[in-house]
Amino acid sequence: MAGAADLLGPKADRAFGLKLVAPAMIILIVLLALPTLLTLVYSLHDVPASGSSFGPFVGLENFTIIFSSPVFWRSAQVTLTFSVGFVILSTVIGLAMAMLLNQRFIGRGLARALLIIPWATPWLVIGILWKWFADGSVGGLNAVLMMLGLTSDYHPFLSDPNTALPITVLAAVWRQASFAGILLLAGLQTLPEELNEAAQLDGANWWQRFSNITLPWLRPVLITVTVFNVIYAFLQFDVVFAMTQGGPGDTTQVLSILIYRQLFVNTNIGLGSALAVILGVVALIGGLTIVRLFYRREMH
Amino acid sequence: MASSAFERGRRRSLATSVAIYLGVLVFAIWILLPVWYLVVSSLITPSQLGVKPFPLVPSSVTLDNYAAVLFGNTGGKGIGSTDMGTRLVPTIGQSLLVSSILVVLNLFIAGAAAYGLSRYPFRGARAFELSVIATRIVPAIAIIGPFFVAFRVIGVLNTPWALVISYNVFTLPLAIMILKNYFDQLPREIEEAAKIDGATRLQTLWIIIVPIARPGLVAAGVLIFLEAWSEFFYALVLTNQLTVPPLLAGFQSVQQFNWNALAAATVMSMLPPTVLVLIFQRHVVGALTAGVGK
Repeated sequence: MAGAADLLGPKADRAFGLKLVAPAMIILIVLLALPTLLTLVYSLHDVPASGSSFGPFVGLENFTIIFSSPVFWRSAQVTLTFSVGFVILSTVIGLAMAMLLNQRFIGRGLARALLIIPWATPWLVIGILWKWFADGSVGGLNAVLMMLGLTSDYHPFLSDPNTALPITVLAAVWRQASFAGILLLAGLQTLPEELNEAAQLDGANWWQRFSNITLPWLRPVLITVTVFNVIYAFLQFDVVFAMTQGGPGDTTQVLSILIYRQLFVNTNIGLGSALAVILGVVALIGGLTIVRLFYRREMH
Repeated sequence: MASSAFERGRRRSLATSVAIYLGVLVFAIWILLPVWYLVVSSLITPSQLGVKPFPLVPSSVTLDNYAAVLFGNTGGKGIGSTDMGTRLVPTIGQSLLVSSILVVLNLFIAGAAAYGLSRYPFRGARAFELSVIATRIVPAIAIIGPFFVAFRVIGVLNTPWALVISYNVFTLPLAIMILKNYFDQLPREIEEAAKIDGATRLQTLWIIIVPIARPGLVAAGVLIFLEAWSEFFYALVLTNQLTVPPLLAGFQSVQQFNWNALAAATVMSMLPPTVLVLIFQRHVVGALTAGVGK
């Protein structure tokens, strides 16, 4: 086994490597590490609306205010509901699409190109598109439901507190399922055909092949996809902003919308930053939990 | 290859084939129905739009909505007295400007960094790489506060520079990750040959590696462009509708701006990223899925 020093190569090479990386490193420290640190500092202060100074140090008071606020807990609950629906549906629909597009059929190339379109569409545009698609007076969704005879009249999906959140989830899933589908399809294409054929000869049915060959093969891709889905779920802003701005009432007010309101509508930088810290920590824990969950199951 | 694929296709039962084509139909409807609704909306008049149910196959189409958002031909077509109709084209220009500057800047900076990490690892290179990956989890929304304050102090709020600077937060790590992956897969023999021929490290990188790495650089460039073109939150907060996404959000909040015109503007905003991705489909999917399934 080579020691770390051998792997690193001669000193001149190391210096050259550092020189190449230095610009990126400096930019990321200034633009990422510094603002992250500042946000942490802001969260411990009562920052004036102008943001020109930190203002008085208040310790954990911002966090105390947040944790005792029903608005925060309501928003956390909405975020959780949104995220669970988003992650499960994106992954499952993405997997279904990937498995379908891995079959042989006429027009497969075209279908695979179609899969890319939702992914290439900006999140905000998806929000705008679905806001109108689900609209209560000119929407296409209502038209289809009516033509199919499922409903007799148009339903205002986004102003109904019961349907607003499910429709925003569906809109976000429309995009993210495509992303999951693209990655999972690439994973499926590396699955050796012989594995399935051998299992088929042994008399394994479709479900047995799916659960014993396909799923285990896809596990690393599924981990990647799920972690991305979790992160996008917690950070979703554009779709909700375009569709409902958090309404009706607070039924779709996810944490990112709440942060936006605190920072730029109420201009409460301290409170907004504390919320941002909470969201960041939750996203981090969410991502790490998924990774651990998958690996633990792998060990058994 | 082709014959074995054909044989496998033959072995499929009729029931399976029917199920697959039904699945394809459902898939096509899932993807295309919202897009179709958008395109039809952009091609019909407000009075056609008011019909219930919505005319999924319109009896007549018009380009008036496109004329309205592209040239400001509002002439009583329901856009009202706002000047918003004339703002789309200059805003598309600004979006293109911001995205292009970022692509060029990031390809240089991330390309150099990724190559350094791949070929000349130094002490701490691995830690840096891991922290680059970890930045994907740092919510961009969470660090907007300091940007807003700092940009107001140095006076770049409402300028393209606010976006050119802040977008590095997500585009630079993305580009480094993709290019590092790409350089790792390039054979090292060519560089060793160049070294023997007496080329310096920098000459090798510029004259030999850059041309070979073109597919990877193209893929990274397209993905950077997509991120910059699509970004909404920073553009909303740090500028006054400088790029297309916040402008569309602005259109949506103006009462006189009807859905037909907004749909036309939305179609225009979807065209550049969709065309770009479809042209470079293989490159982009390859870069996105590099390392998947290994």
